[in-house]
Amino acid sequence: MDKNFRNGFIANLPIGISVFAYGAVLGVLCIQKDIEFYQLALMNIFIFAGSSQFVIVDMWNTTLDIIGVTIAALLVNLRYFLVTASLNTLFVGTSKTQKFKYMHFVTDECWAITMQRLKQESITPMFLLGGGVCIFSVWFAGTSLGYFLGDFIQSPEKYGLDFAFIAIFLALAISMYKGKENIIPWLITIVSAFAFEQLIDEKIYIVLAAILGAFSAVVFSKDERYG
Amino acid sequence: MDSFTLSALAIIFLVALGTYSLRVSGILLSSRLSKNKKIELFLDYLPSTLLLALVFPSIIKEGVAGVIASLLIVLIMYRTNNVLLSMCVSILFIALFRNYMT
Repeated sequence: MDKNFRNGFIANLPIGISVFAYGAVLGVLCIQKDIEFYQLALMNIFIFAGSSQFVIVDMWNTTLDIIGVTIAALLVNLRYFLVTASLNTLFVGTSKTQKFKYMHFVTDECWAITMQRLKQESITPMFLLGGGVCIFSVWFAGTSLGYFLGDFIQSPEKYGLDFAFIAIFLALAISMYKGKENIIPWLITIVSAFAFEQLIDEKIYIVLAAILGAFSAVVFSKDERYG
Repeated sequence: MDSFTLSALAIIFLVALGTYSLRVSGILLSSRLSKNKKIELFLDYLPSTLLLALVFPSIIKEGVAGVIASLLIVLIMYRTNNVLLSMCVSILFIALFRNYMT
C-alpha cells in the first residue's frame, strides 16, 4: 500500500471516532424519518458531506420541498469551494483527472489534517485520499450501525464527542500559526464569524468570515511592504 | 416508483451534483489563479481562517466551559504542539464539565 495513503488513513482515525458516533446519530434519525437504507447509502456515497446530510434528514417530511432542501444543503457545503481551493499546493503538477478523482473524498476532517501535515513534511495527494477513505469508511459504518442497531450511543454530547470536532479544528488552526502577521487576520476572522453568525440565519457565515480574514491578510501584507 | 421516492432521489442527486461541483471548482479555479502572489497569500490563509470561522461560534455557544477548553487547547499546543493530546484533554474536560458541573 502507498505509504502516504496509509499515513493519511491512520492520521484520521482519532477524529474518526467522533465521525463514527455522529454517523450513528444520523442513522437513528433516518429510521425516525422513515428513510430507506438505500437512500441513506446513496447520500453517504454520492454526497458524502456529514453536516449537509443532517440538514437533508432534518428537512425530510411527508412532502419534500426539492428546491428548498437542495439549497439549504448546498449552502452548508458552500465552504467546500474554499476548502479545495486551498488544496492547490498539494496538487501542484498533478493532472486534472487526478483532481476530479480525489476531490469527492475531501471532508473538513481529512482536509484539515492534510493541510497541517503539509506544512511540516512533504506529502502527496495520496495522504489526502487515505484520510478521505478513512472518514468515508467510519462514516458509512457509523450510519449503518445507527440505522440497524438503533441508538447504541445514546447521546454523544454526554461524552463530549461533539466537541472533538471543535477541539481538533482549533488545534490544527493553532498549529498553522507562523508569526505575529497572523494575529490581525485571525482576529478579523473570529470577530466576523461571530457577528455574521448572529446576523445571518444560514451557515454561510463560515465562508464569509474565512474570505474576509484571508482577504485582510492580503491587504495588510501590502501595507507592510509599502510601510 | 411513487412521487415521494422520486422527489427524494431528486434531492439526493441534486445535492450530490452540487457538492461535487463545489469541491471540483474550488481547486480548478485556484490552480489557474495561484500564479498571482496576492491570490497565493489569500489561499495560504484560507485553511486557518476557515477552521477558525468553523469553530468560534460553537465555542462561544458552549459558554465558560468552551472558553476554558479552548484555552487548554492553546496551552497544550503551545507547550507540546500535540494535536491529539489537546483534543483528548479538552474532550475530557468538556465531558466532566457537562456531567458534573451543570
